[in-house]
Parts: sequence; C-alpha cells; structure tokens
Amino acid sequence: MTLTSPDPSSAPIEPAQAVPGKRFASPFAVTTPPGAEGWESMYPYYALLSKERAEFEDGKFWFFDGMHNPEPLYPFDTIMTENWWVAVSQMSTRVWPIPLAGGIDHRIINGYLYISPNAVTDPDAIAARAEDFGVRAGHYYENWDEIYEQWVAKATDCIERLKEIRFAPLPDKEPESAVFSHRGLYSSYDLLTKYSELIHNMFEMGSYHFEMLNLGYGAYLTFREFCQAAFPGITDQTIASMVSGIDIMLFRPDDEVRALARLAVELGLTEQVLGNEDPAAAIAAIAAQPAGGAWVEAFEKAKDPWFWFSTGAGYQHSDRAWIDDLRLPFTALRGYVKNLLDGQDIARPLEAILAERVRVTDEYRTYLPTDADRESFDGLVALARQVFPFVENHNFYVEHWHHSMFWSKVRELGDVFVAHGFLDDREDIFYLHRNEIYSALYDLNIGWATGTEARGVTYWRPEVERRRRIRDVLKANPPQPALGVPPEYITEPLTVMLWGINQESVQEWLGSEGKDPNQLNGVAASAGKATGRARVILDPEQLHEVEDGDILVCRITAPSWAPVFSRLGAAVSDVGGIMAHTAIVCREYGLPAVVGTGFATTTIRTGQLIEVDGSNGVVRVLEDVNS
Amino acid sequence: MTTTDTPFVLRIDDPAAVGSPLLGGKFGSLAEMTAAGFAVPPGFGITTTAYRYFLAESGLADAARTVRAEARGADLARVQELSSAFTAQIEAAAMPPALEEAIRGSYAELAERSGSGSAGLAVAVRSSGESEDLAGASFAGQYDTFLWIRGADDVLTHVRRCWAGMFGPAVLTYRPEATADAALADHGICVGVQQMVEARSAGVMFTLDPVTGDRSKVVVEGCWGLGEGVVGGGVTPSRFVVDKVTFEIVRRELSPQESAYGVDPATNTVGLVPVAEERRAAPCLADEEIDTLVKLAKRIEQHRGAPQDIEWAVSEAGDVHVLQVRPETVWAHRRAEQLVAQPKSAVGHVLARFSGMGVTSGNRTS
Repeated sequence: MTLTSPDPSSAPIEPAQAVPGKRFASPFAVTTPPGAEGWESMYPYYALLSKERAEFEDGKFWFFDGMHNPEPLYPFDTIMTENWWVAVSQMSTRVWPIPLAGGIDHRIINGYLYISPNAVTDPDAIAARAEDFGVRAGHYYENWDEIYEQWVAKATDCIERLKEIRFAPLPDKEPESAVFSHRGLYSSYDLLTKYSELIHNMFEMGSYHFEMLNLGYGAYLTFREFCQAAFPGITDQTIASMVSGIDIMLFRPDDEVRALARLAVELGLTEQVLGNEDPAAAIAAIAAQPAGGAWVEAFEKAKDPWFWFSTGAGYQHSDRAWIDDLRLPFTALRGYVKNLLDGQDIARPLEAILAERVRVTDEYRTYLPTDADRESFDGLVALARQVFPFVENHNFYVEHWHHSMFWSKVRELGDVFVAHGFLDDREDIFYLHRNEIYSALYDLNIGWATGTEARGVTYWRPEVERRRRIRDVLKANPPQPALGVPPEYITEPLTVMLWGINQESVQEWLGSEGKDPNQLNGVAASAGKATGRARVILDPEQLHEVEDGDILVCRITAPSWAPVFSRLGAAVSDVGGIMAHTAIVCREYGLPAVVGTGFATTTIRTGQLIEVDGSNGVVRVLEDVNS
Repeated sequence: MTTTDTPFVLRIDDPAAVGSPLLGGKFGSLAEMTAAGFAVPPGFGITTTAYRYFLAESGLADAARTVRAEARGADLARVQELSSAFTAQIEAAAMPPALEEAIRGSYAELAERSGSGSAGLAVAVRSSGESEDLAGASFAGQYDTFLWIRGADDVLTHVRRCWAGMFGPAVLTYRPEATADAALADHGICVGVQQMVEARSAGVMFTLDPVTGDRSKVVVEGCWGLGEGVVGGGVTPSRFVVDKVTFEIVRRELSPQESAYGVDPATNTVGLVPVAEERRAAPCLADEEIDTLVKLAKRIEQHRGAPQDIEWAVSEAGDVHVLQVRPETVWAHRRAEQLVAQPKSAVGHVLARFSGMGVTSGNRTS
C-alpha cells in the first residue's frame, strides 16, 4: 500500500540459492523483474518479507498457492487470502485446536501468494491439544447433521444480506425523505457503512467457510488412509467414489442446463438455441416465439442461484460466474440440445452411479482380512459419507454463490467511483486494497460534502496505471512452485488434501539430476492414457479457444469449466490434490488427468503434442510446436 | 473300453469327470472349470485306474511298494540308484493292449475334434497326482509336464514317462508334514493329455497379491511365448497388479524379453527361441487382454469360493485359455492379520488421526 512502502533492500546479504534435492531458493533470493519495481506498495506491510523477520522467513518452507491464486494478486483480491490467513489458522490454533497443526503463514512475493503451514511437534503440546480437540471436535462429529443444517441456514442468510447491499452514486441533493424522517444520517454515512457491511459480510462467510472444513477433510483423510493401507495401490478416485454424493450442488448448474435443453426441445425452440451463438441473441429469439415465454421464465428461475457458478476457484474477481458471462452455459445448452435431437439420453445415470457405489464399497469390504477391520471400515465409510455433503456443497455456497455475488457488488461500488470521477473503469477498483477503498470513500464524501474536487479524482488514475503496469510485468514472470527449506514431514491435513502437497511432490519439485526434460510427474488423478495437442489456459477467457481433442494444461480447473470438458482429451494441472474442486468434476467426466505437476503451464506450450498417462501420473512432450 | 467298472480314460468335458478322484487334483479342477464354461483346452485324462492297471499288468505293483519303502530314510545316492533302476523298468514295460487301445482311441478322437490330422495334433502330456491336495501343500514342480507331443506313439511314451516320474528322487523323498506315509505309499496318478495352445503370451495369475495377501488385487505375471518361462522361473515375467473391484491396472512392471519358450522349428521340440525384435520391449499383454484375464480370474475365484492360482495362455488370435487352476496355498493357511491397530469408533479413529496416530499399524508393503 502506498502508506507503507517497505524497504526493498530487506534481504539478507547472501540469500541461499536452490540446492537440487535439498532446498529451494531462499524467498529473499527472488529478484524483482525489471519494470515491476515497487510492487510491494500494492500490498499490506504484514504480507511482505522483512529484514526483521528474515531469519525466520528464510528457514521456512513456502509453496506457491497457485490453486486459489494462479496470478499475481490484485490489491483488492487480497481480501480472500487475508481472510483465510486468519479463518483457517484460527480453527487449527484457537478453536479446536488441532493437535498436530498450527496456522498457515502467508507472504506475497512478486505479487504471488506463498503459504507455509506450521506444524506442532512438541509431544506435551500435542497431548494437551488432543484433549481439547477430542471434546470440541467430538461434539461436532457427534452432532454433524444438525450443525450442518444450522450451517446452511447461516450461509443462506449471509448471502441474502449480501444481496440486499446496494451501491449508488451520491445524490446531488439528499431526498426529502432523508430530511423529514429526522434520521439525521445521510448518503455519505450510508456509503461508508454499506461498504463496511460488504467487507464484514465477506469475512462472515469466510469464517463459516472453515467452521467444519478441517473436520470434514480429516474424516475423509482417515478413511482414505485406511483404504490405502488395506488395499495398497487403490486410486484416489475409487476411494472418493465410495463416499461422494450423486446429488451434490456442484452438479446442479449443469443439471439445470440439461433441463433447459429438454424444455427447449419440448417447446420446439431448438432452432433458436442452435442458431444463435450469442446468448443474448438466443434469448431474444426464444422470447419472440409464442412458446418462448415459458422457457425464458424457467431460465430466469434456474439462473438464481444456480448460475452463480464461478469459472475459477472463486477467489479472484476475474473468476467470472456463468451469470456474468452466459457463453459457457449456452455452449453446454447447444451441446445438450444436439444430443437430444440425435436421440441421446442426456440424463446422468444416477441409479447406476449409486448402484456402482454400493457394489464397490461392499466388495472392498469383503476383501478385508478380519471382522474388526470390517467394523472399522463400516464406521469410517459411514462417517466420511456423513461429512461429505458439507465438504462438497460448501463450495457452492461459499466460492460460487457468495463470492461471485460479492465480486459483483464490488463492481457496483466501482461504478460509484467511476460516477464520481475517481476511476475510468469499474474494474479498476480491484487495483485498490480494501483499506485504501475506505480512505477513497472518505475522500469521495469530502469532495461531495464540500463541493471541492476530491483529491482522488487526480490521485487514483495515475496510481491505477502504475499498478497495472507493475502487475502486467509480474504476470509475465511465473513464480517458482516452492521456496525455502522443506520440512521432514507434512502432516497438516489441508496441505495434503487440498493442495496435494506431500513428501513426494516436494521431492519432485526439489528435482534430481538426470531428469528427462520432456517429462513431468504429478498425481495420477484419473486413469487412462491420451495423446493430443496441448492447450495452455492461464485465463478462463481462453476457454473458448479449446478445440476437440485438446489436452487442457492449466494451473487448476474449476467445476464450471464443465462445458469444455466434454471436448477435451485429457487434463493436466500445476496444482491440485484429491479434494481440489477439479477432482469432483473430473471423476464425472472420466478424463485421464494428472494434477499437481508443479510446472505444466510453465514448461508445456500450446500446440505441442503431449501424452497424458493418468494411471501413472506422467505427462510427456512428444513433439514440439514447430516440428 | 475298460476291464473294470471304472474307466481308463475320461474326457475333461465328460459330466462324470467333474469331481472324479480318477483325474487327480490338477485335471479334476480342469474338468470342473470346463463344466462351468471356462475356456479350457480340450483333453482327456488317463485315470488313476489306468495307472494301477498298468502296474498290475506289468507285474510292477509289488516292486513299486518295495522301492518306496526302501527309499524312505535311505541316503540320496541310494535313492537315486533305486529311482533310475525302477523308472527304467516302467519306461521299458509294455503297455497293456486294452490301455493302449483306449489311449490311441482318445487321442484320435481329440485330434478329430480339433480338426487336425490324427498324426499332427500337438498335445501337452502332464501328471495330475491323486495326492496333490493331501497335505494342502502343492506338489507343483514335483511332477512332469511334456509339451508339444505329436502322434499316438509319442503320447504313449510320455504317458509312461509321467508314470515313471512318480518314482523320481524328488517324489520318493518328498515328505510334507502331517502326511501319513501310508497315504503316500499307494497314491495314484492321472496323466492328462490336452491340446496345446500355441501361446503368443502366457503366464500365471493370483486372485490375491501373493506378497501382501491383499485380496482386492489380481496379480498377473506373463511373458511372450509358452508359460513354461514363468512357471519354471526361466524368464523374468512382466507383472501387472490390477484392482479386482474397479479393474484399474494399479502397477505395471515391464520386463524386456529377448527369448521365449516356443517350438523350435528345426527340432520340433519346445525350447528357448528368440523373441521378435518389435516385441522385446513391448508389453506381452494389451490392457484389454489384462482386463479379460482379471475378469476371468475373478469369476474363477467366485466359482471356486477361495483365492486361486491360475495358469493362462493367450493365442496369437487373442483367445484366452485357462490351462490350470489350483487353490492358493500360502495365505489360505496363514492366520488373517488384523489391519486396524486398535479397534475404535469411527470418530475415535479420526480424532486419533488428528493426533498423529494412524488407523492401521502400517501399510501392507508390496
């Protein structure tokens, strides 16, 4: 932030370089790319490396959180990372506490978010924490369904209140109602309080987000470890298939599109759907038909809430939702209509999926050696199934529904700044940190109240330009997957399950000599082998470039990319563990996939012929673009 | 075709063959597999009755008992002396006419059924001991198998060799624990005669992981050519570990192969022949074939009600054949070891996991 420009010479004198097989480069060895000098001013002081904490920061293991934040953070978007910096960490340290896991530290380096989980290693501390944890977490597990019901009510209420927050430019003159109600409070006050309300609404949902998540993951992780010990080599998707639901909310948006496709066929509107690539034109053409009204009504009903479905992880404002950009759902809609006209059944085979889940679970059970093992298996699978609706559905409530709406509200506020001459474009608001916005709003109020031109009118445009230039440079300089000194053991359940970071992936990143430069290794996420042209996607906007048979290469996929999945030959990602958002939809599509490769988007180029071996977690470049 | 109530020869697809002790363990199982509809190459067994009839007719029955009794407790040199003298007697003895007629007749019929000329059908001639399951221990490797035998004369010669094999030094000194000497002293042998499968690839598979005992896996070992390389240990097989529930191949260990067991065209006998250049580094089984084999193994296990050890072959045309089926003996006799370190409620397990304690005492290593 402009108020807290840090000392750029904060590095130790000789920062350590990477030693293959042993350590990653010191975070202080990362140099600022030319043209990005002063990037630190975009971020809060507490998120930056500092001379005073250099020894501590250099000795830690930092990994790039490309899963949630593949790009350099926009100053405003740090609200998400700052939220979970507290919200995840406090659960582990202060609320439960989790016996082995501490909080997760954050640092922003060259605009990219690096995180570092803290482990608890002192046996006495672990024992003391375990006692509290047993009582507190035990209470949650024992009352899970009831607490989940309460959680849904809280989350829905939070979203309802978010929906009610509206921003408008300040009026030339206060309306008479403001005078005759004797309220004594005017638009300037309301603008500030609504902004505070918006920020606190975000932190409220951010806190609910992690209320039950670690416990949910923990129950699943325990079941997973049991399966891996009992059936060595069992795949993650098989374990997940034993517990995952078939009616989870993440499938709903796609199911709604299927229903709209069926309705279009029933009402004889297929020509209008197929004949218009542009969603607005398609809707207009449908509305002009006699039967079109019923379809448009059904479409509007499906849209809220189901099209609050992010095209990204939901943590960045650039992750646009279906509701903002209808091209993705309309691409899917056209596909389903074509399938229906070809006489295909587009319904998900729910009964078959459920029957398969029963068969798989029962069969593994019979292969266990003893009755005591079967009893433990039964209990663990039941508990994992009990926690899974929350684990799977929280994504829709939090990242998709709430966060997509949150970003749209911030854009509404952006319009206020545009109206008052602070910014040229509503999107520019994201170049301001949330605390700077509070100041800018006050500045705006001063200008409005005094009738003098606000300072911000001449201050923010050049500052936004400066920040845009810096961020563009940072974006062209991809981050290293990890920095610092890796720990001996990684036990923190979120790190393992969500980011797919474990001993093996760290070793892989550390590298070894004699490695095949044309081969990448990662987590075998979905079985099968496929060869095709690579399509490197760094921005959801590029999704429209995907051609049939392409192999998607990305940092991380989002469930809402589903419409393009049916065109893909396979998928490869830099980051992601077994519970990443991607895994859930990948299972459904049965695509070969390798996740957590670390470097796919930085080593593979669009057009290269690559082979994806989803059974063994290997990606090979077979042929370069030019040959 | 018999001089007594029991037959000298039984086709393995004869309804009477199922469960008949006359075919010995190995061939009896194949009769059962045939009846259940599995793809077993056609053949017939020269029954234990035939064997006893041969010993009696040749006047060697008493001598056989004497040799066994003398071999017990004798030193190895003496056992070898007894063995070579007596096996020579068996191989030289005349085949009783009734028996010879039955064997020639069955071979001709098998050749006709397979569409080959009566002189040309290649068969495998192998022993199937009555006592193979006596102690629950496998007699694997103790009995003889002769491959690629053509013509009735050669079949007759090798039938006698199989009988003689009952008096090889290894069998004479074989003393599985808890096996009554009396039971062993008089045990019979069936000789199976079965159409050869011209195997492109062959091997064995287990319906559990033989290393860890994990029953959710089928482990397939295979090589190019005849399966003798895998069974006899002469060729390092490729290995595929397959999930029995989902049929995913969870591990593959490919072993490049320079030579394979096959028929040497020069001598018309089975031996090591070079593997075609383009096959050497390639897997000996396509993924679809592994899938077919594993599903077959699973059906056989379900049919037999316990983990099995199965010999298989795949022809050049891609047809899968079951050559031999027997119960898995190692894990079947081991006490099941509990995986869970300490039984707890599910919540108890999860809470303990958060404190760093695993649910199980350790992974099954494989």
